[in-house]
Amino acid sequence: MKTCLTFFISTLILSVLIGCNVDQPTDVIDSNTPVESTGALSGGDTTIFSESSHAFSTPAPNLSADALEKHLDGDLEFEAVFVTAPAEVNPGLGPIYNNITCINCHVRDGRGKPPAVDEKFVSMLFRLSLPNTENADTGQSPIPVPGYGTQLNNRAIYGTPSEGTVKIEYSEQTLTTADGTRIHLRYPDYTITDTYKPIPENVEVSPRVAPVVFGLGLLEAIPEETILSYADEADVNGDGISGKPNYVWDVVDKKYKLGRFGWKANQPNLLQQVASAYHDDMGLTTSLFPLENSHGQIQLKENLTSPEVSDEILDVVTFYVQTLAVPARRNVNDPQVMHGEQLFAQAQCANCHIPTLRTGVLPGVPSVSNQTIHAFTDMLLHDMGPDLADNRPDFRASGSEWRTPPLWGIGLVQTVNGHTNFLHDGRARDLMEAILWHGGEAEKSRRMTMQMTNVEREALIAFLESL
Amino acid sequence: MKLYNILTVFSCIIIASALIVGCESGDDDEIVDETYDAGAILDHYANNVVYVIYSDLDTEAGELLDAVKALQADTSQSNLEAAQQAWVAARIPWEKSEAFLFGPVDTQGLDPALDSWPVDRTNLQDVLDGPNELTTDYVTNELDDNKKGFHTIEYLLFREGDQRQASDITDRELEYLLAATMNLKDSTAQLANAWAPDGENFVNTIASAGEGNSVYRSQSGALQEMVDGMITIADEVANGKISDPYNEEDTTLVESQFSFNSIADFQNNIRGIQSVYTGNYNSDGPGLNDFVSSTDSALDSRFKTEMQAAIDAIGAIPNPFRDAITNDRPAVQAAIDAVGTVHITLQQDILTLINENEFN
Repeated sequence: MKTCLTFFISTLILSVLIGCNVDQPTDVIDSNTPVESTGALSGGDTTIFSESSHAFSTPAPNLSADALEKHLDGDLEFEAVFVTAPAEVNPGLGPIYNNITCINCHVRDGRGKPPAVDEKFVSMLFRLSLPNTENADTGQSPIPVPGYGTQLNNRAIYGTPSEGTVKIEYSEQTLTTADGTRIHLRYPDYTITDTYKPIPENVEVSPRVAPVVFGLGLLEAIPEETILSYADEADVNGDGISGKPNYVWDVVDKKYKLGRFGWKANQPNLLQQVASAYHDDMGLTTSLFPLENSHGQIQLKENLTSPEVSDEILDVVTFYVQTLAVPARRNVNDPQVMHGEQLFAQAQCANCHIPTLRTGVLPGVPSVSNQTIHAFTDMLLHDMGPDLADNRPDFRASGSEWRTPPLWGIGLVQTVNGHTNFLHDGRARDLMEAILWHGGEAEKSRRMTMQMTNVEREALIAFLESL
Repeated sequence: MKLYNILTVFSCIIIASALIVGCESGDDDEIVDETYDAGAILDHYANNVVYVIYSDLDTEAGELLDAVKALQADTSQSNLEAAQQAWVAARIPWEKSEAFLFGPVDTQGLDPALDSWPVDRTNLQDVLDGPNELTTDYVTNELDDNKKGFHTIEYLLFREGDQRQASDITDRELEYLLAATMNLKDSTAQLANAWAPDGENFVNTIASAGEGNSVYRSQSGALQEMVDGMITIADEVANGKISDPYNEEDTTLVESQFSFNSIADFQNNIRGIQSVYTGNYNSDGPGLNDFVSSTDSALDSRFKTEMQAAIDAIGAIPNPFRDAITNDRPAVQAAIDAVGTVHITLQQDILTLINENEFN
C-alpha cells in the first residue's frame, strides 16, 4: 500500500514537472522540440527506489510469493562457490576456469572492471579465436584456438596448468574540447603471457568485463519485431547509423536466432547465456554444454560427471537474472539533469540508446511482461570505429561492431561497485571518457560532445548519473 | 532567461511538494514536513561502529596469527586449543561486521577472500600433498579463495569438529595454516585501512553523505545502505544460514561446521544488527534508533525487543547446531521465526520509514 502511494506520488511529481518543462525555454545547442523526460521508473513495475549498493541486487518488487521464492533459490546458486570434485557441496569446478562463483565476477550483480596493472584479472575475461581467412563475414561462430578454445582460462585447480594470463598496459592520449578542456583517454594494450603451450601469432583477442545482470528479463521480453524495427543495416535513411541484428546459434533449438545478450549480442537468450557462463567461465557442464571447456586439452580430467550443474539449477539462476529489479532514476526533476536529457537526444545518443521500449510477453515471467522500460538500448550492433574495435568477429558482429549496451543504472556503478570503469574492457575511467571513445556510427555524437561547453557536458553527465 | 528557468522549476517543486503534503495528509502516519539531519548518526556509525569493529577484527586476526605461530613452534595440545580459541574470538567481530557487507569488503574482494564457503578440501589436500613451498605469497597469489580465509583455517585447526589432536597435524598443514593466517591478517589489515580516517577513509564516504559525495549523493542513500546491510544479514540468517540446513536436514550446509561455532556466529550476526541500530559498540552514540524513536517510538521499542528475542531464541538452540537441525527442530524453528521477525520489521517498517522521510 505504501509502495503504491510512493509510486503514485513520484508519478504525480513527474507529470507536474514535465508539464512545466514543456513551456520552459531551453538553452540547448539547437532548437529541437524538448524531449519528454523518461521519468524515474526505468524498469516499469520492476523498478525499486534504491540508492545503496543493493541497487542492482534486489528482487523485482512485483514478483508473486512463489516467484520470489524461486528468485531467492536462484540467488543462492548465483552465489554458490564451486570446488574441485569430488566434494559434498558444489563439486565440478574447472579444471580450468576464470572464477569459482558467478558473484565474484558480477559483484553485487554489478559491473566488472579491469585489474590494476600487474594484478590478476578477476571480473574480466578474454575471448579468443582464429581468423576466418576463407570468409570474414560468414556469420558463423568464432573459430576455436587449438588447445585454448574460445576463452582464455587464467586459473586452474592445483596440479593442472592454466592456459595463461594477460598483461595490460595503457598509454595516454589527450583530447582538447572546443572550449579548451583537456580530457585524457587511456589506450589499452593486451599481451597474452604465461601460456601453457605456444599460442598462434594471429590469435584474435577480445577483452570483456562482466556486465551488470539486473533488468535482463525485461530485455529478453522485448519483442523481436520491436528490435528489428530499429535495424537499418544498409543505412537506408542516411543518418550514418545502421543498427544490425546479430543472428547466433541457439544450441537448444539448433538454429540461428536473434542475438540479445553479451557485448556482441552473441547469446540468443538468458538460459544459454547462463549455461555458457557456467561452461566457459567456471568449467561446469550443463545439459546445454555437456562437454568440459577443457575438452580435447591436456587439462581435462577423467571421470568427471556431466552435467555438473543440473537443469533445475540452470532454471533458477536463469530466473534470478530475469527478475532482478531495475533501480529508479534519481533527480529526474533537477534542471541540470533535464537539460542533460535534452542534450543526450540532440547529440543523437538516443538514436541507438533508445530511451523507451515496451516489452512483450516472456513466458513464465509475468513480472517482466508488458512493461514500459527505459533501458537506453536498441539491442542492435553498431560499428564503433577502429579505436574501440576488438577485431574479433562474433557471428554477424564484425571486429568493430558492438551491441548498444543498456545505460540504466550507470549512475549507481560507483555506489554498487566502487569504480567508474566503462565500455567493454573498462578502459574509460569515467562517463565522459566513455562518450569520447565512441567512434564509427557515433562519431557525430562524439564530435557534438566535443563542441559542447563545459556547462553542457556537465549537464549531459548529470543526466547519465541520474540513470 | 536563466532566472525565469529557475523560478519556473522552483514553482513546479513547490506545487509538487504541496501535492505530496496533500496526498499524505490523507494517510494515518505523522507527516514530517522538514528534513532530518542524519549527519551525526552516519558519522557515529562509520567512525565508532563499522571502523571500530573492523579494527577489532584486525586485532583479533593478529592474536590468531600469534597463536598459530606458537602452535607451529610447539605443536602441543594446549597451543592447538589456544589457536582454536583465537579463531573463535576472531570470528566474533567478523560475524558482527556482516551487518555491513558493503563498501571495501566487497569492492576490494575481501569478503570472498576472508569467508569463502565451502572449502575446496579435495584440492587443498592435493596442495598439501604437493611439492610447493607453502609461503604466504603462494597461498595469497596462486590459490583460490576456496582454499583460504576463515573456513580453511577452521578446517585445519578443528577438522571435523571432533577432538582434533595436535599430534595429528602434519608439518605441511602447519605451514599452510601459517600462510593462510598471514593472508587472513593481511586482508583484515587492508579492510581496516580501507575505512580508517588516516587510511583510505571510507569512513568519510559514509559520514559525508549528501551533496558533493559521488557515492552517496544524499543522506537517504547512506541510510538505505545501513538498513540494507542489516536486512541482508537478517535475511541470510533466517532464510539461509539456519533454514537451509534445517529444511534439508543436511549438515554439509552448516556454517562454521568444523568448529561447532554456528550458534555463536548467528548470534553475533544479530548483535551486529543491534550495534548498527543503536550505535552502541564499545561506546554509545547516535544510532538509527534516534531517528526511529523520534518518528515512531513504538516501532523503536518493538524492534529492540525483537532483536533481543532473536538472540535469545538462537541461544536456546542446543549446541551443536548440526545436531539440533535433526534433534531439536522446534528450537531451530523458533529461532528462524524470531530472526524472520527482525528481518520483516527492518524491511517493512524501518526501511519504509527511511524512504518516506527527507534527509539533508
